[in-house]
Amino acid sequence: MKKAALLLAGLLLLSAAVVLTAAPKVVVKTMAYGDNSNPEGVNWLRIVAAFEKANPDIDIDFELLYDEAYHQKVVARLAAGDAPHLAYMGADARWGAPWKEASQQFDHKPFMDSKYYDLKLIPPMGPKGEIWEIPLGTSNITTVLYMNQKLVKSLGFTAPKTYQDIVAMVPAAKAKGLDVISIDGADGWAWGSCLMSSIIARMSGDPNWVSKAVAGKNKFTDKVFVDSLDFIARMIKDGVIASKSVMVDYGANLSNFSNEKALFMIQGQWIAGSIENPEVADNTVMMAWPKLPGEKAATAGSVAAAISVGYGVTKAGAADPKVRDAALKFLQYFYSHEETTQRLRDGAIVAPVLKNFVVPDDLPGLVKQKVGLAQKAKNTEVIDAFLSGAPNDTLNAGMQKIASGQATAQQVAAEVEALMRR
Amino acid sequence: MKKKDNQALAAYLGLVIPGLAVYLVIVAYPILYSLWLSLTDFNPNRGGSWSFVGLLQYRTMLRDPAFWHALKNNLVVVAVSVFGQIPIGFALAYILFRKLVRAGIFYQSMVFFPNFLSTIVIGTLWKRLFQADGPVARLLQLLSGNPNAQFDLMLRAETVMYPIGFALIWMYTGLYMVVFLANMQKLDLNLIEAAKIDGANEPQIFFRLIVPLLSGTVLVSTTLAIAGSLRGFDLIFAMTTQGLVRMNAEVLPIFMYRTAFQDYSNPMRFAYGSAISNVIVFISMALILLSNYVGRKLRAGEEH
Repeated sequence: MKKAALLLAGLLLLSAAVVLTAAPKVVVKTMAYGDNSNPEGVNWLRIVAAFEKANPDIDIDFELLYDEAYHQKVVARLAAGDAPHLAYMGADARWGAPWKEASQQFDHKPFMDSKYYDLKLIPPMGPKGEIWEIPLGTSNITTVLYMNQKLVKSLGFTAPKTYQDIVAMVPAAKAKGLDVISIDGADGWAWGSCLMSSIIARMSGDPNWVSKAVAGKNKFTDKVFVDSLDFIARMIKDGVIASKSVMVDYGANLSNFSNEKALFMIQGQWIAGSIENPEVADNTVMMAWPKLPGEKAATAGSVAAAISVGYGVTKAGAADPKVRDAALKFLQYFYSHEETTQRLRDGAIVAPVLKNFVVPDDLPGLVKQKVGLAQKAKNTEVIDAFLSGAPNDTLNAGMQKIASGQATAQQVAAEVEALMRR
Repeated sequence: MKKKDNQALAAYLGLVIPGLAVYLVIVAYPILYSLWLSLTDFNPNRGGSWSFVGLLQYRTMLRDPAFWHALKNNLVVVAVSVFGQIPIGFALAYILFRKLVRAGIFYQSMVFFPNFLSTIVIGTLWKRLFQADGPVARLLQLLSGNPNAQFDLMLRAETVMYPIGFALIWMYTGLYMVVFLANMQKLDLNLIEAAKIDGANEPQIFFRLIVPLLSGTVLVSTTLAIAGSLRGFDLIFAMTTQGLVRMNAEVLPIFMYRTAFQDYSNPMRFAYGSAISNVIVFISMALILLSNYVGRKLRAGEEH
């Protein structure tokens, strides 16, 4: 009995000693982006597990959310004063606005190893050249025209060089029961980010027309913007885009293209890895919009692109040097050459922002095309990188109204301008 | 006697204070905080500074066409609930209660079934039904012989509430049916037998006996329906996609969410959102008081 008591006391003392001498873990509260079924989420879970195994003194305490759920939670947490230490974020009007408003942006530049990151590929995000987040890749092209080359060829056509070339395909496509261009027109943002951003730059010849309009140097009621909006009505009238597109959501758009129900698809570069039909993926060509009627030479062949989103340490995370260093250590792991290669293969990024990165020879064809497009095409502004809130919502819904014949370009332009200057 | 009074007072306070404290912290404080917030320009992301702006947020709201559009849609939802779900639920409960159909349990289960499903699942289901070339569009194409026919009611502000109202009825009618059925089963069957002996037919039994006896339940259901309709967010949010359709179908809670959580062009958006939520509570209370008043006027109240 006495021996058992002594043994018990000894065990208790040992346990207490272990607990007291063990270094406390550094907890990095993180808001991650993805879900358990998409590559972003699956890779996140895998990376965190591997990192924590290699760094047992660091706990990446994360919340994994996707799409609207992520945006809602960011706003709620920041408003509640519960800012995470590390988060998926952007630097523009959509992805960066909550962090900027909550003064949670933290300049990573002084902490970034210039031998590891290629700082020339990371654009300045703040007024003094600050880097608020480490982009997953180089600029994020939002206005890609995906072409099913095999399907186009089967109708007796080749890759279009002008808009009229696409119009010429309409009768043949209709006869086969195919859509010419599929767009997820039920999503308001798709009209702005993936279509109108290109049209306004092409029509105006000014890659920065949108930011100038937001700053008041251009007006949304200017003829060039009204004409650009009117081009949507023309595309519907020409049968290039079906008016029913306003009822097609993101998943249905991808499915239409993957299942060969459309010759072309409008979307951003990020969707390239999601074309699940391997035959279609192998026959897909990623291209900038062909020459549009009335476009200016200065922006011919351009694509709209925004600074890529990525992960960044917040002011809350940077407040404690231990947490900040742990978060930066994790970021270095997250942006490793191996993980970046995986992101390239998944089609999640255009090109890496790492120095001395060796692009593997065996990358899928679509990924190589994406890199080519990024290198060739001039970049112009994405509308919702500058325009936000009610004016942006009204513009997006307005384009849907134009496409469904409920409003004219002049009406939508006037409404956006009024909201912008209120 | 005085000692007894003190003991009673102590017991009274001992019983009331804990509950009152919980109520004040959980219910009263947020309401008062929201009222205060709506009179300021407070934005928690600006470091806690605020200024008193009086009724500015309410004036802005009254001038905002989006508010009136959302209010109109909300009143449609209230009307669908009060004049759709409750009467249909009542009628279905009566049919089951009076065993006017065979396999009553089956129908009861089927009508109540949506209540077992997540609202997000139901919203997604209806969204899929109404999408381009979706099942409803295919049916229209089949019936009209027009291969391009689409179900486009969701695209127009004037018609968007028809499909949404239909989905609301489909989802919530079962709940009211069960409530009415449970109350009907408490009724004294002798009253119905007596009415039958007196020569009453089925509609007379329904309108002159059952409806008056359950008028109290109708009133409670109406109150629940009004309150639920005005704060209803999830089904409409899930049924619509961000953009034109959601803007068309916007009700006050979604308007409040869009304003407070998404409109970065308005630096006072949290205060504005609070004003909208206060108006939702105010309208809800006004409608409930109105329904109680109408109920009293109609000599509402179960009589046994």
